[in-house]
Amino acid sequence: MENAVVFEKKSFIKRTKSMLKVDFKRLFLSRTFYIIVAACLVAPILIFVMTSMMDGSVSVNPQTGEETVIEGFDNVWQIIGSVNDPDANAENTSGDMAAMDMGITSMCNINMLYFGIAALVCIFVAEDFRSGYSKSLFTVRSKKTDYVMSKTIVMIFGAAMMVLAFFAGSLVGGAVSGVSFEMIGFNITNLVMCVLSKMVLVSVFVPIYLIMSVVAKQKLWMSILLSMMVGMFLFMMIPMLTPLNARLGHVLIGAVGGVGFGIGLGAISNLVLKKTSLV
Amino acid sequence: MNAIEIRNLSKNFGPKQAVCGLDMTVPMGAIYGFIGENGSGKSTTEKMICGLIPTSGGSIKLYGKDYGDEGVRAKMGVLIEAPGCFPGLTVWNNMMLQAANLGIPNAEKEVIKILKTVRMEGAAGNKYKNCSLGMKQRVGIAMALLGNPTLLILDEPLNGLDADGMRIMREIFTDIVKDGQRSILVSSHLLGELQKVATHYGIIRHGKMIVEMTSDELDASCRTYVALQSAEMNKTKMLLGCKYSRVEQDEAGYIRVYDITTPEEIVTYLYENGICVTEIKTDKIGLEEYYIDLMKEGR
Repeated sequence: MENAVVFEKKSFIKRTKSMLKVDFKRLFLSRTFYIIVAACLVAPILIFVMTSMMDGSVSVNPQTGEETVIEGFDNVWQIIGSVNDPDANAENTSGDMAAMDMGITSMCNINMLYFGIAALVCIFVAEDFRSGYSKSLFTVRSKKTDYVMSKTIVMIFGAAMMVLAFFAGSLVGGAVSGVSFEMIGFNITNLVMCVLSKMVLVSVFVPIYLIMSVVAKQKLWMSILLSMMVGMFLFMMIPMLTPLNARLGHVLIGAVGGVGFGIGLGAISNLVLKKTSLV
Repeated sequence: MNAIEIRNLSKNFGPKQAVCGLDMTVPMGAIYGFIGENGSGKSTTEKMICGLIPTSGGSIKLYGKDYGDEGVRAKMGVLIEAPGCFPGLTVWNNMMLQAANLGIPNAEKEVIKILKTVRMEGAAGNKYKNCSLGMKQRVGIAMALLGNPTLLILDEPLNGLDADGMRIMREIFTDIVKDGQRSILVSSHLLGELQKVATHYGIIRHGKMIVEMTSDELDASCRTYVALQSAEMNKTKMLLGCKYSRVEQDEAGYIRVYDITTPEEIVTYLYENGICVTEIKTDKIGLEEYYIDLMKEGR
């Protein structure tokens, strides 16, 4: 009877592989993921169609009588980002100032998606805790790192899919509403780098949302609220780091930031899971 | 070697002490019935064994190794409160996810086998949220059984099961431990059902283990009583109450005399007082009554 139970120590690679398999399987089996990606695809189409319909219409403030002309998109790429002109910094037209513009075309752009990513991460993590799945998961897995790492990777993939879907939707929306595809101040390589840098930049946001989610656990509302609040502080950097005239450097900066945030915040998430109740 | 060995375990939630100085030993091959009132610390103890909540003190050893050591909990199957299933997924997909989590080779074959064991093979395509309470409970057991675990921790697994479900569950439990290499820690308020399968018992109150015993020890500890029926039950009860210190009427309508006596003595006594006994038998109290007695003593 003695020594009858053999404890198998799984290697890091084996553990990570099985955890990734579970999380990817979950992602692809989840209806929530497809709904979110579909929303990302449809949103820019609706934005283009609606702004095109409203273009040139005048709204009047009933109290002041002030008239405001609603302007639609002049260019499809406006919804993806703005050209970062280093020479124009002195004139306060840099990317971050452009983000401060409260016009409809500036508000309805791909950068808003980074808040949507918070929803994706928070829903997935909260579901783990709500369903009781986390109980069976953490019982058999003593290393919380597996969970944090796998969840970060899978959510980065999911978020990148959202960015891609929005980009694809923008192209369709632009074509449907007849908005210009003209590239001014950037070329196709820059555009590819811009989209790539946006996809890579999600790796900075996902660890933030993940840490909020593991703190809030099954309280979805709390994790979304915390994620939005903290994400807001980093929101301003998105236009600067992912301009339309992006180069490989922008992608690399995003990647380095993602790795840094992933490791740093991942360690904190790991600590939170270790030190707090998992139920 | 014991499957679970807990020494001086404690857990505080702020100023509240949920578990204090708990000792527990679950031998290998045992079906350990973990009994206690609501809020006595059963679930907290189980969650600590599973590593789901950190302990405030004490030690937990699984098969002689610290429960936090890598790989030690990998061979555990759990069902605590709710099965870890995603409501929107089918039973099959939920099982396959768990199989992937455990890294089971030939997962499909294994899942089919386990679903057959819990008689759920026909409902594999059902969405988990559409399953009945009993079916959900069976799925929970099936999830816990995946990966051929050496230790099962089941919190109220019999809740919501019909008579057939309970019978199946009893068969599964005895089947699991028959090789003597696997153990089950099961908590339940259905003490009658638990008594049919458990080989060991642990009774917890206010976070402390008040008694641990084997089923043989329980049998020896359970008092015998004389149960009888007569044509005049009220008068009989009154007369017996005059002579014996503990006389009670049970749910089935029998009058029980718990004092040390014989059926002959009671029949003679009642006959002398003009009462004719229609039925009389000796029996032993069950786990439920033993538990209730124990709880009363503590109050």
